[in-house]
Amino acid sequence: MNVTALLLAQVSLAFDSPMAWGIGLGFAGLALRLAPRVAWQKFGLFAGLIGIALIGVALPPLGDALPQVLFWLMAGLAVVASGAAVTARSPVYAAIWFAVSLLGTAGLFLLQGAHFLGIATIVVYAGAIVVTFLFVLMLAQPEGHSPYDRISWAGFAVPIAAIGVALVIGTLVSSLPNFAPAAHPDEILHDAHVARLGGQLFAKHLVSVEVIGTILLVALVGAIAIVIQGNPRRKSVTQEGGTDL
Amino acid sequence: MIEPQILIILVKVVIVIGGLMTAAAYFVLLERRMAAWVQDRVGPNRVGAPLSQLNKSWKDLRLFGLGQPAADGVKFILKEEYTPAHVDKRLFVLAPISILVAALATFAVIPFGSVLPNGLFWDEPIDMAVSSGAGVGMLVVFALSSIAVYGVILGGWASNNKYSFLGALRSSAQLIAYELPLGLGILGVILATGSLDLDKIIAAQAETGWWFAFTQPLGFFVFFVAAFAEAARLPFDLPECEQELIGGYHTEYAGIKLLLFLVAEFLHMIAASFLIVMLFFGGWHFWFITGSEANPGWVHAILRIAVLMTKIFVVILFFMLVRWSWPRFRFDQLMAFAWKVMLPLGLINFVAIAVIDQVKTMSGDSIPGIDLMCAVAAWGVCIAAWVVISFAGPLVADNLPRLDLDPFDVDSQI
Repeated sequence: MNVTALLLAQVSLAFDSPMAWGIGLGFAGLALRLAPRVAWQKFGLFAGLIGIALIGVALPPLGDALPQVLFWLMAGLAVVASGAAVTARSPVYAAIWFAVSLLGTAGLFLLQGAHFLGIATIVVYAGAIVVTFLFVLMLAQPEGHSPYDRISWAGFAVPIAAIGVALVIGTLVSSLPNFAPAAHPDEILHDAHVARLGGQLFAKHLVSVEVIGTILLVALVGAIAIVIQGNPRRKSVTQEGGTDL
Repeated sequence: MIEPQILIILVKVVIVIGGLMTAAAYFVLLERRMAAWVQDRVGPNRVGAPLSQLNKSWKDLRLFGLGQPAADGVKFILKEEYTPAHVDKRLFVLAPISILVAALATFAVIPFGSVLPNGLFWDEPIDMAVSSGAGVGMLVVFALSSIAVYGVILGGWASNNKYSFLGALRSSAQLIAYELPLGLGILGVILATGSLDLDKIIAAQAETGWWFAFTQPLGFFVFFVAAFAEAARLPFDLPECEQELIGGYHTEYAGIKLLLFLVAEFLHMIAASFLIVMLFFGGWHFWFITGSEANPGWVHAILRIAVLMTKIFVVILFFMLVRWSWPRFRFDQLMAFAWKVMLPLGLINFVAIAVIDQVKTMSGDSIPGIDLMCAVAAWGVCIAAWVVISFAGPLVADNLPRLDLDPFDVDSQI
């Protein structure tokens, strides 16, 4: 079966599934949120929230009440915060929303029993990477792009990108039941999960870990070498009338 | 109907939050009394029970100033909540909330004792931590302490004030720099116990009776100093050093929002003391008193809580004494200390502990007194490393202007 036929079949299937409508509305909302007019942005928020609600309706319910509530809290937090991160005007707000969505993702990991993965997500991403982003953003331009930067091609590119991504995700989601995930209670839900993970990393994948570590070290040394640049910079500072004691 | 486990957890949460808030309030009083004692003043000793407000003929009770925290709290809450016009309002509100939430949530995985035996109203022994942390308790503490950086950065940036922002920048640079030695100090302990679970780390020390402060002295020093820096206590309180930055990242804050920042700072200090005690001073363990079995009786269980609390109190007293004994670092000294002293020492400690631990494992029980020999070896490594580092990269400890340096060199160190 070729790709076009598959896509067409998916599209015709999509019209009577709330999931597809939810995804479509969500992406339409996202595109509208990025529009230059305030009225459109409000409409986009509305459409996006309805889309998320529709997706929620389409998902199968979990067994117990407590995991159900926690899952919806975390999943909702992650999705809404990601949307907000993409559409936030100020880069500082975008970074903060990104951190919030990482917290939601970490919550989902914890809920699934992947404790180490969840905590590592917070430590590495929210704790180190996004903080570094914030550092740079706060020193740079707090207002984000100026308006004329935002509007140039966005009106054309954003809807196309949104439609494309919606199609891809819709296809993936509609074909997901075919990939019933195999349960691995011995892997991630194991009591000594961290120890097993460490064992795998440092026994089976030792070479890869070492190579990656070396590459990172080389990158670090290179960055420092670029920053230092020897003495010429210092001379230029004094030539430009730097304070002489 | 609520399940009993959930009820027990709720009770634990209420006790922990209530206890911590009260403890933070009274530690403020203790800190002020300590400061007064060190500086040969009287300190706050007046506020007690204002009985004369009820009946003119009664006298006010002073109670050694024990009413001071309540008076301070009421003052903070009733103060005008002034928000300057030039701030980013949403982030300005979010910052103190996020820092307090992160500081409080840390205590969810910290055990306040060992376990309570079954009895009174429950059938199973009760764990003294709100959540056992699912075997990664140590990492949870790390994750939440890295979240606390957000409160500082956002507070400083949202205030839209140069001094606040400088304070936030300094603070985040300091917190990120000292997280490395903090982690290296912990690594030795994790290597020796093979677990990230705080309960297991304490149990490992209780079983052998060798606290990690004795067997890993270098790791202990590195962790101890880094914990001071992470809690932003003197001599590491550059984020809010009053002489240079007014109040640092909370310059623009007032009223209850400022209170949240200050309480969070004290909670960081309490959390740091808990970690120091649990990782390096055996947690609830004390020789001959507490026993080391996994399921203690009532006497041992209560003694363990008392021992843990006493240790924590002593460490906090030490925190407060250091505050008045040590001048603040300059920023270049702070950074040089983190990267040129603490980091190498942490690495040396890690390698040394790995070697010593391996020797111990290989020898098994065949050599008598192996524990003592390992501890002596660790102390030898500690002293040797300390001497080498202090000769190899001496800190510029005087505060004189460096006239011999080009201004660019001075700037590049900052």
